Amino acid sequence: MRLLTHNYLQSNVKGTEKGYPLTIEPTKIEYEESPIDMEFVENILTKIDYSALLSARNQIEDRCHSDLGSDFIVPSLPEVMPKRYSDGNSKDDKIEEDETNQEAFLKSIHTILFDIHVLEGHLVCPDTGRRFNIKMGIPNMILHEDEI
Amino acid sequence: MTNNTDMEHHSEISHNRYNVLIEFAHIHLEFQRPELESVLSLHDIAIGRDCIEVPLPSSIPTVENYRPFLILSFDYHYAKEKFNLDDDGYVIQSDMSRFSKIDRTKPTIASVLSRCTLIRSAIELWGAGPSFDSCVEHARQLSSGCAGRITLENCMKLSSSWKITIHTLGTKFNREEQNDMRMKFAFFNLPGKVQMVNPTNEFLLIREVELDPKGTPLSQERDNFLSPPLAVYYGRVLGGIRDWRGNGRLDQFSLKKRSYLGPTSMDAELSLIMTNLGLVRNGSFCFDPFVGTGSILLTCGLRGGYCVGTDIDIRVLRGRSDEENVLSNFKQFRLNRPDLIRSDNALYHRHYRMNKPIYDVIVTDPPYGIRAGARKSGTKEEKIRAIPEDRRHDHIAQTKVYPVSDVMGDLLDVSARTLVMGGRLVYIIPSMRDFDVEKDLPNHECLEIAHVCYQPLQTELGRRVVVMKKVKEYDPSLRESYLSSVWINGPESAEKCANIRERLLEAAKLKPGYEEKAAYRKKRRQITREEKKKQRAKHV
Repeated sequence: MRLLTHNYLQSNVKGTEKGYPLTIEPTKIEYEESPIDMEFVENILTKIDYSALLSARNQIEDRCHSDLGSDFIVPSLPEVMPKRYSDGNSKDDKIEEDETNQEAFLKSIHTILFDIHVLEGHLVCPDTGRRFNIKMGIPNMILHEDEI
Repeated sequence: MTNNTDMEHHSEISHNRYNVLIEFAHIHLEFQRPELESVLSLHDIAIGRDCIEVPLPSSIPTVENYRPFLILSFDYHYAKEKFNLDDDGYVIQSDMSRFSKIDRTKPTIASVLSRCTLIRSAIELWGAGPSFDSCVEHARQLSSGCAGRITLENCMKLSSSWKITIHTLGTKFNREEQNDMRMKFAFFNLPGKVQMVNPTNEFLLIREVELDPKGTPLSQERDNFLSPPLAVYYGRVLGGIRDWRGNGRLDQFSLKKRSYLGPTSMDAELSLIMTNLGLVRNGSFCFDPFVGTGSILLTCGLRGGYCVGTDIDIRVLRGRSDEENVLSNFKQFRLNRPDLIRSDNALYHRHYRMNKPIYDVIVTDPPYGIRAGARKSGTKEEKIRAIPEDRRHDHIAQTKVYPVSDVMGDLLDVSARTLVMGGRLVYIIPSMRDFDVEKDLPNHECLEIAHVCYQPLQTELGRRVVVMKKVKEYDPSLRESYLSSVWINGPESAEKCANIRERLLEAAKLKPGYEEKAAYRKKRRQITREEKKKQRAKHV
């Protein structure tokens, strides 16, 4: 499960309206580098919930250190997303930061959204505490009969 | 000598324009034009706006059967700006790069068209006519047009070797006759040498004859005379390969070797066509809500898409083993892993936060109860039993039957909500030949039908691939209203697709001779059983 997918998942237990974002409790993580498509990353930035991404990043950090070796550093992210992406009008706005900062930011986003995979673990509903398991990288979001 | 009718044809294929003849394979007939239009639109080319379709020359006033040819005519300056017309060094590769590569900067025409699964070849048209002589005459006038002149000049290099291949669609000519045909075009006086293996330029002389619905040439002999051809074409092969679908070159052969296949796996060729119809390209965000063994999703990945698949069946998602599952298929083709989620498409809006549309393409083969029954969350039992705490972790939740009418309604609603504007939904629906495309297909206010293509499987039964485009923004407050207007004729339309096996059986029973055939088959089965019994008795 990539963090991009996590950004969209919510808990659907009956009666909860606050099932987002799910807390990640990873027990196994893998890193798989992929080529960066800058345009794609810029586009996707306008559609994600940035604060959920930040907390997800923090939740997986420790597991990344133990599973991916001390050489691997999870890129850090600014507290607030650069304005040009949050407004979704990135093409027309004046460039606020210099090019290198921007590129570095996009690279970090790419790594965190696409290249880190939670293979085993749980997603926990922040409201009800219901745990959804992740096995082989596949989150199991199906509720039991009495929860629908 | 040419007569007036011939001249009319000639004036339509003007040598002042850049003309391309496309030859299609004789398969998936209804898909050919939609696939071509879709692939052209990936390059922002529209027939009618950026090029025109020229009617095929014909020696018969009306041809009833399908002709697998199409002529596209481009304004020469447009063609020169848009394409790299100098493709004598370029040969289409059969490797994976062909799936996804879209060359934005001046691609060759062959590289644009080769993405179409159903195209056999494309030639730069030098001459065409309803007869052999009229084709030769037309070719003689090539250099009189501004486009034709440059086209010819480009082939006049001493270093360019060449040969002429003759394609007679099944009609046999002996070697002498073939050479005579070739000699008719000797007036071009190409300076380079003739080379049979891998020449710089291959010319193709096509003698078109009428084909029957199966693609077999109609008999060409009448009263011991050879019937005249339907049309004759002459031109230069684009892409360096005479037959893009030739043995081993068609990409689907490599797809057939994928490690994880199941009974419902989509045949490779249809997946390739569907992803073209969906306009999947590098960076497309692709989604399959009924991903199953991942055949269609794999094709999205091959075309450079970012892939997400969901399914309610955890067993199919996890596959048979570590080596045989959806993920291993992607690994086999060296693609980034897709994201898979076990979720229920009937509850999409509860599993996923949907504040902004994200998918570019949704492409899927929904379950119709023919080979794999559709399920959704919930139980058919009236009283729901609570699951004891210690069993919850591994409990496989019961699912109940998910009627086809709801499968389709939910699919369209999820698509309308999660597709970006202009994004495409491509799905398959099994149907009888006499299906009413206007009234029996599901609808949604936010989606417009772009194409419907029928693939016959048996005499009465086939599949339709439906392509829809998002044309209107989704209003969540109207969800109930959207869902209640999905079926113009009511949910019975959906049932038309759901119970096809039963309907086929009913239809067969009404046919004459059914009783006899059934009795005959029963007798044969009985004989086979008795044979087997005897065999077993012998071995005891």
